[in-house]
Amino acid sequence: MNSDDLATADPSPNRPAGGILPWRRVALLYAVGLLVTLVPLLLLSRNFFWLNIITYTYLFAGLAVAWNIIAGFGGQFSLGHGVFFAIGAYTTARLFLDWEISPWLGLLPGAIACAVVGPLIFWPTFRLKGSFFAIATLAFNEVALVLANYLESVTGGPRGLQVPFRAAFKNMIFTDPRAYTVLMFVFMAIAVGISIVLMRSRLGYYLLAVREDEDAARAAGISVIQVKLRATALSAALTAIGGGLFAMYIRTIDPLTLFSLPDIGVKFALLSLIGGMGTITGPVLGAFLIIPLESYLRAVFGGSGPGVHLILLGFVMLLAALFMRRGVAGAIDSLRQHWRHRRSA
Amino acid sequence: MRGAMAALCGIVLAAGAASAQQTLRIGAINPYSGPLALYGDEVARGYQLAVDEKNSRGGVLGRKVELVRGDAANPQQGIAAVDQLVTRDNVDVFIGTYISAVSNAASDAALRHNKLYWDTNAVAAELTERKLPNFIRVGPNASIFADTSVRAMVEMIAPGLNKQPKDLSVWIEHEDSIYGKSIADIQKKLLEGKGVKVLGQGAHNFRAADLTDVVLRTKRANPDVWLLTGYTPDGNLLLKTSREQGFKPPVILMVGTGDTPETLEALGPEFLEGVFVVSYPRPDISEQFGPGASAYLAAYRKAYNRDPIAPQSLTAYTGMRILLETIEAAGSTEVEKVRAAAAKMDKPLNSYPSGFGVKFDDKFQNTRAIFTVIQWQGGKQVTVFPPEARGSGGSLKNTPRKQ
Amino acid sequence: MDILNILVVGLLLGGIYGLVSIGLNLIFGVIRIVNFAHGELVMLGMYGAYLAYATLGLDPYIAVLLVVPALFVVGIIVHRLVLQPLHAESNMQIFATFGLLIILQNAVLAITRGEGFSVPSKVAGFTFGVGDIRVTVSRLVIFLALTATAIALHLFLKRTLIGKSIRAVTQDRQAARLMGINVERTFTITFGIGSALAGLAGVLLSPIYTLSPGIGGNFILAAFAVVVLGGLGSVAGAYFGGMIVGLVEAFAGFYIDPELKQAIWFLIFLVVLIVRPTGLFGQVGAEEVGFREQN
Repeated sequence: MNSDDLATADPSPNRPAGGILPWRRVALLYAVGLLVTLVPLLLLSRNFFWLNIITYTYLFAGLAVAWNIIAGFGGQFSLGHGVFFAIGAYTTARLFLDWEISPWLGLLPGAIACAVVGPLIFWPTFRLKGSFFAIATLAFNEVALVLANYLESVTGGPRGLQVPFRAAFKNMIFTDPRAYTVLMFVFMAIAVGISIVLMRSRLGYYLLAVREDEDAARAAGISVIQVKLRATALSAALTAIGGGLFAMYIRTIDPLTLFSLPDIGVKFALLSLIGGMGTITGPVLGAFLIIPLESYLRAVFGGSGPGVHLILLGFVMLLAALFMRRGVAGAIDSLRQHWRHRRSA
Repeated sequence: MRGAMAALCGIVLAAGAASAQQTLRIGAINPYSGPLALYGDEVARGYQLAVDEKNSRGGVLGRKVELVRGDAANPQQGIAAVDQLVTRDNVDVFIGTYISAVSNAASDAALRHNKLYWDTNAVAAELTERKLPNFIRVGPNASIFADTSVRAMVEMIAPGLNKQPKDLSVWIEHEDSIYGKSIADIQKKLLEGKGVKVLGQGAHNFRAADLTDVVLRTKRANPDVWLLTGYTPDGNLLLKTSREQGFKPPVILMVGTGDTPETLEALGPEFLEGVFVVSYPRPDISEQFGPGASAYLAAYRKAYNRDPIAPQSLTAYTGMRILLETIEAAGSTEVEKVRAAAAKMDKPLNSYPSGFGVKFDDKFQNTRAIFTVIQWQGGKQVTVFPPEARGSGGSLKNTPRKQ
Repeated sequence: MDILNILVVGLLLGGIYGLVSIGLNLIFGVIRIVNFAHGELVMLGMYGAYLAYATLGLDPYIAVLLVVPALFVVGIIVHRLVLQPLHAESNMQIFATFGLLIILQNAVLAITRGEGFSVPSKVAGFTFGVGDIRVTVSRLVIFLALTATAIALHLFLKRTLIGKSIRAVTQDRQAARLMGINVERTFTITFGIGSALAGLAGVLLSPIYTLSPGIGGNFILAAFAVVVLGGLGSVAGAYFGGMIVGLVEAFAGFYIDPELKQAIWFLIFLVVLIVRPTGLFGQVGAEEVGFREQN
């Protein structure tokens, strides 16, 4: 899948002239891409260890794609998406526990809430640029963490919420773990699909324009703030859905887990970064690189010495950053350019 | 025909022998990385010592026991660890776990694989309250933690101050995660039940850069007893800050932290003199109270060339020993059989090196798991409560603390 | 009167935050790197002090002379090997600093098992009282060190040749290069100085806290907030920004609730930023490309 052709935001001068692909071609690439990501599931569906990893990979791929909408395409590097994730998780779990509302429906209130809350809290901070904005969103995460601990009646406080195992389709609780994997796969597929449709729509082009040069976009008549707010709403809603799915998979949620920056809030950013920010496929590639690697290293080396597996992970991250400077998507692009050159030479 | 029969018998015998030699694998899920890595490692060391000892005596059910570690510092990782240990390492049972939230998620995942989860060190009440069919907790829980601290206050400290419980005032301070909060909530209820005046309950983040506000608020309330539940970083910082700010309560009673060399190094023996700590039983308790404790200490020293840093390892060692005995009694590692054997076990207090007995209630919580209270005396941790655990010379020192 | 004591507590706490942030402020302001591993550089300073004590029996206030230069070298190496090759991709730099954070934290964990060391000092714990106010030597030293460092840094940037080249490079890289300044070397030196300052903070903090491999994480969020609040690249900003955060935390913790104090000062931080997006002392437009003036 060539990330260039899907209307990426990669401003490299190597973008082919004549631009955009027709819908049919895009749909084909999308289907092929999804099939490729399905392969690990098909191969390893009987191995519980890998199944669990693949489930998280799909989930976080979807979450990274959601993050990328406002961060990669919109240029607003957020480290506060953990807030939306947590709202989705708490809402879905609470509605299920207290009012027996099926999570299939219960995902929506959280998404809608974040579609409102997201723009609300990001709006005043949009005037902050670059890293300032990132650090301000970190503050959101920290404030929300304290509140989640404090407001025991809403979130269960430090104890959090536990969803007992009552398997039923309508409960979104399954005895067969493969059902969860498929569920997360569908989430990822939907997130990627929305991403593609968005970036080929007018809102998507405006978003890119705003990212490249806000003043020019404003001069061209684009309502910068509206564009950003809409993208935020979409990004936050998708993230909330991911949070709700997470809650139903892991079935025990507490503030420390949901607001953990390295595991959740910052992880969305890291996956997109290494995969290739501002591309459709980048976040997915990043998830497929980091999550299996991290889990595999923990499984193999976790018992060896304290922290050994994480040292290895850190080195892989450093090397990845140094040798794949535009992320995995960028590296794949470079390879394709290389082959094109060699063929035409 | 006879040849074929002989060959068949040979194969069956060989297969039998092979499965008898097949190792019994136990998956030990703990944080081996992250902020609690040290305690996860100490606990696993305790497990390993019990396993080595059992193997030297022929193993369990004729099988050699092998410990396999699964690193998990949060619930997500806990589930992954269970999957990993089942799939890659073929473990028969699980043991763990220093963090309650991890134990919660991991034991639930273990149930999906129909494997036993034997908990030695996680204290949250709901682990047994939820009555998970594969879960057994052999170690003590938050209620016992809170109860021990309250009993120590009422039965030992109040008399030491020449006061009745109703004349005693307490400030309850705790770190704000589920560990500190659950213990503190129970402490408050129990203390008020005994008529002790609870002047206030405060919470703090254990990683806070500054805890002067906590100390000053407590100083303002002026309690007789400062009851403090937390981890090492906040425990040490609070003690240091109280020294700096001139907050000198007559009694300092710490829960869960403050009894390791880490605190001695940070505060020094003079300041620590008289500080009480409710914690896991130590290997240096009397042989009467904890038979085999000194043997454990010797084994730890031999294997690791140093003394145990945290007493959690002795509780872990004891928990593993009881697990292996229960498996033997059950004749199997299957969940139902082990639970049935566990339900029948009845060993009085002081049967094991940590002073434990074994008697599981209907929620499979060991009712004879205990905590002890030490007092720092001359730079050493002397066990002073329960009275049966005291060795010779276990009288109270510096109570009330010299002002 | 309680309030005076709280005031002093807040100022001294502000000294801690300020000292931890001053190196980050320099790096962030000049090189524009969001260095997630800054807390780990502070942590290395702390463990450096412990190493000096464990092997040479040095008091941390003496160990400063060894640890700070050592961290300077560490900073130079990190910048040269990891950050400079990525200078064109600031997003990848962020990713790389995160990898660095993981490596440093876990290397220390692997070596020490996570045991909570303490660094003793003969004088650090001594506390003297003036009325209701109580001042501890360790915190006073940090406050004074911060003040001295801020002044020294200011003079360094203003008067010395290297300092001027740092300012030139901050204002306009192209012009600086045209004037013959080696931009890459200036960046590396700046990162080295920033790391050395982190090391200074670590050593001076070591008598107060119980060491752990993850202790950097306790300070990093506050450090970023202080830097942004104070205004990018402004030394005065880091100084006074730290004071403000320290005072808010101390007052909120005592008069409201220690559990909520973090949330409170984060909220105030957000409010200030929304009202003044460049931070208190920052120049308008400073956070964009370069800034025009730095007086």
